[in-house]
Amino acid sequence: MQNQTTTRDWILYSLLSLSILLILLAMYQIDRQWLKLSEMQAALSEQAKDMRELRGAIASGAIAAKTSTNSAASGEVAQAFKRADAASRLPDYAQGDWSVDAFGTNLKTITPLVSADAYASSVQNYVLESLITRNPDTLEWEGLIAKNWTVSEDGLVISFRMREDVSFSDGQPLTADDVVFSFDFIMTDAIQAPRERAYLEKIKSVKANGKYEVVFTFKEPYFEALSLAGGIGIMPKHFYEPYLKEPQKFNESKGLLLGSGPYRLNDPKNWTPDKGNIELVRNERYWGDVQPSYHRILWKIIQNDSARLTTFRNGDIDSYSARPVEYQELKKDPQIQAQSQNFEYMPPVVGYSYIGWNQERGGKPTRFADKRVRQAMTYLTDVSRVIKDVFLDYAEPAVSPFSKASKQHDTALQPYQADLDKAKVLLKEAGYQDKNGDGVLEDKAGQPFEFKLTYFQANEDTKRMVLLLKDLYARAGVRMIPTPQEWPVMLENLDKKDFDAITLGWTSGIETDLYQIFHSSQAVSKGDNYVSYKNPALDKLIDDARRSVDEAKRMPLWQQAEHILYEDQPYTFLMRRKSLLFVDKRIHNLQMTKLGLNFGSLPLENYVPLAQQKYTQ
Amino acid sequence: MLTYLLRRELLMIPTLLGITVLVFSVMAMSPGGISAQTLIGGMDMKPQEKQALLDYYNKRYGLDQPAPVQYLRWLNNVSPIGFVTDAQGQRGEFSFSKGMDLGTSFQYGRPVADILAERIPITLLLNLVTLPFTYIIAIMVGMKAATQRGSAFDVGAGVSMLALWSIPTMLAGVLLLGFFANIQHFQWFPTAGISSREAQDMPFLPHWDAGGFVRGFLLDRIWHLILPVICLSYGGFAALAKLTRTSILENLHADYARTARAKGLAENDVLWKHVFRNSLLPLITVSAGLLPSLLAGSLIVENIFSINGMGQLAVEAVKGRDRELVLSITWISGFLTLIGYLIADFCYTLADPRVSYD
Repeated sequence: MQNQTTTRDWILYSLLSLSILLILLAMYQIDRQWLKLSEMQAALSEQAKDMRELRGAIASGAIAAKTSTNSAASGEVAQAFKRADAASRLPDYAQGDWSVDAFGTNLKTITPLVSADAYASSVQNYVLESLITRNPDTLEWEGLIAKNWTVSEDGLVISFRMREDVSFSDGQPLTADDVVFSFDFIMTDAIQAPRERAYLEKIKSVKANGKYEVVFTFKEPYFEALSLAGGIGIMPKHFYEPYLKEPQKFNESKGLLLGSGPYRLNDPKNWTPDKGNIELVRNERYWGDVQPSYHRILWKIIQNDSARLTTFRNGDIDSYSARPVEYQELKKDPQIQAQSQNFEYMPPVVGYSYIGWNQERGGKPTRFADKRVRQAMTYLTDVSRVIKDVFLDYAEPAVSPFSKASKQHDTALQPYQADLDKAKVLLKEAGYQDKNGDGVLEDKAGQPFEFKLTYFQANEDTKRMVLLLKDLYARAGVRMIPTPQEWPVMLENLDKKDFDAITLGWTSGIETDLYQIFHSSQAVSKGDNYVSYKNPALDKLIDDARRSVDEAKRMPLWQQAEHILYEDQPYTFLMRRKSLLFVDKRIHNLQMTKLGLNFGSLPLENYVPLAQQKYTQ
Repeated sequence: MLTYLLRRELLMIPTLLGITVLVFSVMAMSPGGISAQTLIGGMDMKPQEKQALLDYYNKRYGLDQPAPVQYLRWLNNVSPIGFVTDAQGQRGEFSFSKGMDLGTSFQYGRPVADILAERIPITLLLNLVTLPFTYIIAIMVGMKAATQRGSAFDVGAGVSMLALWSIPTMLAGVLLLGFFANIQHFQWFPTAGISSREAQDMPFLPHWDAGGFVRGFLLDRIWHLILPVICLSYGGFAALAKLTRTSILENLHADYARTARAKGLAENDVLWKHVFRNSLLPLITVSAGLLPSLLAGSLIVENIFSINGMGQLAVEAVKGRDRELVLSITWISGFLTLIGYLIADFCYTLADPRVSYD
């Protein structure tokens, strides 16, 4: 008989594995202490550096001199900080607490330029600053790092004069050299920023004129020149310059983020996605006239929708953005009602959804090449019904690519009203009739009027809309075949222009450029004019508008362009959807501005009154 | 035995090659395909921006070349012996010690090895906690049910195991969250992640300080793992318990068990020293699949509880047509599956001396 393990052996084995486990845990514990210690060391050495500088400054008399000039100008708050300053004077204003929110997907990297998603850019917003910013009340540009600027007569040269008291979060002063460096850095081929490069290619040169003046020279007049130049996130030269020698290291980095903004990464070099959250701490050296209110900004990663809602219910995140059906349900929920404030609003930059009618397929014009057919389809597409039935009225019909709030929009234009009779007349004019009495229209060659509508399969609301449209079109004898597709497949078909009609959405800006989507030159392969819409008159208007730097001359051009689009209907413009947002009640001073809700906008205007603060550190 | 192991290991090479060829062709032929276009994803780009990005990716990943060339290049990079290539992708001399390079992920722009190194420990932790838990419960329940066949416990366990087995993980996860993490019911557990923000500043072990009880990093981690581990394990132990029960019952009625009893051995000794050992065989067969699952992770549970493990990674990779990542993941899990079967075969010889491969 062979040896059998006895109880004593078992006890021995368990004791052995227990002690191995304990040793492992102890090792882990010591490792954590080590990390904590090095963190503290870094903080201490930074403070020591500050002290040294401060002492030096006091000894040389620089501080005394500065305070006296400051007091002369006391009460002088830069225009960009006026709103934040007003908020800080409210009776219950208090600093402290954290802002906690959730991202729906894991971030791949938060290094500027390398990162491509909206989540990363919302983190960078708190850390990197640019020369100018948009005023949420007037929508005009105003100086942030720039004090003021001048634009040359021909619009080709813009020179910014910068503030002299700005420093990065590591204490180094921000100068014109950093702006020049940021531009050069982006334009370096080895750096993974092809997107930004393509955009900034209109700039011929960026030069520093003295320590606090920077001059941008453009190759050609461009209507968005100011926002292009002033919008570059300023990257500190001393921090990013070493990566010019090892661009690969920069391109593969996860969290190299340092700037002059109100918040900073605790460790600007070593953030990694596996930490499961992103945390910014207040930049104690922030130069701004008003210091930000929150101690920390934290984003948790919560992928599952119902987990996100539960987390919001539990009060562990500050906001929750809902879909229409969900929003209506939650509005009635007493638990949610007790803890949050809800907002439904139309941000001015909200995108529009549309149905694009492909006018050319395989080199041959399709039935949608006929303007009358497209107009008929628009008359058949009962947008108000879609908005009411599918989006529960949390949307407004879109007239054109321009939002109603934009100066580009001509208020005289009204959305097409659904009209079955008009559509039938137009289709008859275009040669479509039901000849064999089967309820479906036929063209002159006897082919039935049927087409495939391609849409993104994962979106529940779109799916419901497409099914509704199928019925609406059938009433005029047009047969639509819903064609759901996966995202990469759809992109490929767009590239090959291999579809009949497609429904998608575009985002808009404060001022929307039509060139990318509607200019004939973009009807090439892989261009974004994938419906192959060509209209020389529109092309000329777009070109002229893009070249005119003067807004007063430009807006009428955009409006004329809008009229052409309205008449031609290359797209049937569907709607713009409202933002439906719940925000925790402890966040105060939430206001509607022309840029949308000021939740989290910078300079920070929201705060938590002392009595409601949750996090103390 | 040694020659057998050697033969099996050599057979792995063509199998693994086959797997990669298959996955590579499926990826290349999949609708939407691998092209720089998929990498760009978002639509909000000016045409020049888009073209610039396309050119950049085509150049960086060599996507403009024919698929077989791309495959050979990938194979050369991954295999530990092959041609040395420089940064421009030019082929150098043949080398036996150039090392493996899993390539760069399209979506993340980072070396695949780095990404795996970040994700693997998380999935490993989750599974290493789940496994013993699953096995202990399954064996205990199965054993008790078998020895008390026909009793109330047996019937009750049978019904509830079947019920558990048929609850989809998706539903269970959402229900667990809804009831045990929601302020409207019992807010006992956290909703997401594998550790809370506060835990980062806590000492490792739980203790009392001036402010009262501090849960410490370890307890916080355990607290976060409870719901996901329940979700991951219930289906497993339900099935395993059934398996254990059947297998033990079969052996309890076998001739050798009767002989052992006839020899006057105590029922407990019969059970543990003879029957249990023989009943392990089917459990070992099942466990062959465990090794790959240790690293493959569970997509559903990871998604519901927002855990960034390998399951998430695999799905993200497939959705984004991230070829390098998909290939590496399938390649590694293929390798582990083969190793798993090898280990299972080896364990047979340990559990049952009659089994021999020579």
